[in-house]
Amino acid sequence: MGADHRVFLDATIPHLDVVWQVARQAAGEGQDPEDLVQETYLRAYAAFGSCRGENTRAWLAAICLNAARSQARRRRRRPWEVPGPALLDAPPRSRGDGREGAADVADVVIAGLDAETVSRCLGLLPEPQRVCIVLVDVAGYTAREAAEALGCPRGTVLARVHRGRRKLAQLLAEAGVSHG
Amino acid sequence: MDSHDQLLAAFLAGDLDPADAQRWDEHLLQCERCWRAVREDRAGRQAAQVLRQPAPPGLADRVAFAVEMAAGVPAAAQRQARPPARARGRGRRGRRLRWRLAGAGAVAAGLVATLLVALLPGGRQAGRVPAAVAAVARYAQAIPPPSGEQRPQHAAPVQVGRPVTVMAGGQRIVLRTWRLGGTEAVVAVSGHPFPMPARARGVSGPGMAWSARLGRLSLYCLNGRPSELVAAPVPAAELAALAARLPLA
Repeated sequence: MGADHRVFLDATIPHLDVVWQVARQAAGEGQDPEDLVQETYLRAYAAFGSCRGENTRAWLAAICLNAARSQARRRRRRPWEVPGPALLDAPPRSRGDGREGAADVADVVIAGLDAETVSRCLGLLPEPQRVCIVLVDVAGYTAREAAEALGCPRGTVLARVHRGRRKLAQLLAEAGVSHG
Repeated sequence: MDSHDQLLAAFLAGDLDPADAQRWDEHLLQCERCWRAVREDRAGRQAAQVLRQPAPPGLADRVAFAVEMAAGVPAAAQRQARPPARARGRGRRGRRLRWRLAGAGAVAAGLVATLLVALLPGGRQAGRVPAAVAAVARYAQAIPPPSGEQRPQHAAPVQVGRPVTVMAGGQRIVLRTWRLGGTEAVVAVSGHPFPMPARARGVSGPGMAWSARLGRLSLYCLNGRPSELVAAPVPAAELAALAARLPLA
């Protein structure tokens, strides 16, 4: 503590929107995303003096994810680990032998997007893939920033994003079929 | 993920050099498996982007307020000089200037608050205010003194600015400022009771309702579901009448 709070706010408030995107997806059941954003900023402020040289966006994302996990631990819940169907254990599936069949998944997904269904299906992905998709596709982090936030190689982020997107598309196609 | 998939992920990320990328373009025309993977990748990305949602309008103010409290600066006193979060984002230079003004005002407000606490009967004893109550009082320090304008008997209270939500003392507190004639008051609402500060006076029950004087502020609290705390820079005798005209639960 003790850092100039105005310097801190000047450096971090411009990133509020991306932190909000992460917090909305990282907050577990019973967690308020706005509370999580506030907790993120308070933790960041407490550590600001030692972290000025880092990528601020990536640094805030890492703090937000850690705050979500520790809040979840306090509630004895694990926000990123939702039991998924057996589908998640299987490799990406083929949906036909020809190009028309291949188009099914993508077309169903694109035609029937609604945030609630997407959010539910995203919640079914394994944690590493879900976190990477939230950072890259929802919050708009670059793969390099996401890698910095997660402490893993950039190639790992790219691979997780790719696998996660495919599974998400398949889950949404399933949801579209089952609800349609 | 096999090496084929890794190459595909690199291709989708634009990591391949032009020659390799060209080879992959040609490969996709012939490989059904990879073509399907590309389409699913794009569909998944497009779906995830549906979840983007702008931050709530008051969130930046809430965060700034919380940080100011953590910094020990009663900069909440500057909240009314602070533009809404969206407007602040429009000009970095203007925002900086406003923050500098806020900072200068905060220092002045901090000195006043320190003097008030020191001059209160009981000195340090009076400074022992529960965190939730202190947060409300700190926020209410921004209220200007009553202008002397008469409060029309039937005038409706007008809300000033946006509600601000803070966490203090483990409580989630929603703060709203209301203007009634020339007088303003802060109404704080929480799902948990506001603890009685030292030197507060119980009005009914064990802490169910209490009143207190903190510097120039009078506080009146009614604990229940929800609990409400009204703070205004008016004499204690006038606060009950003022609170009766505010939109309390």
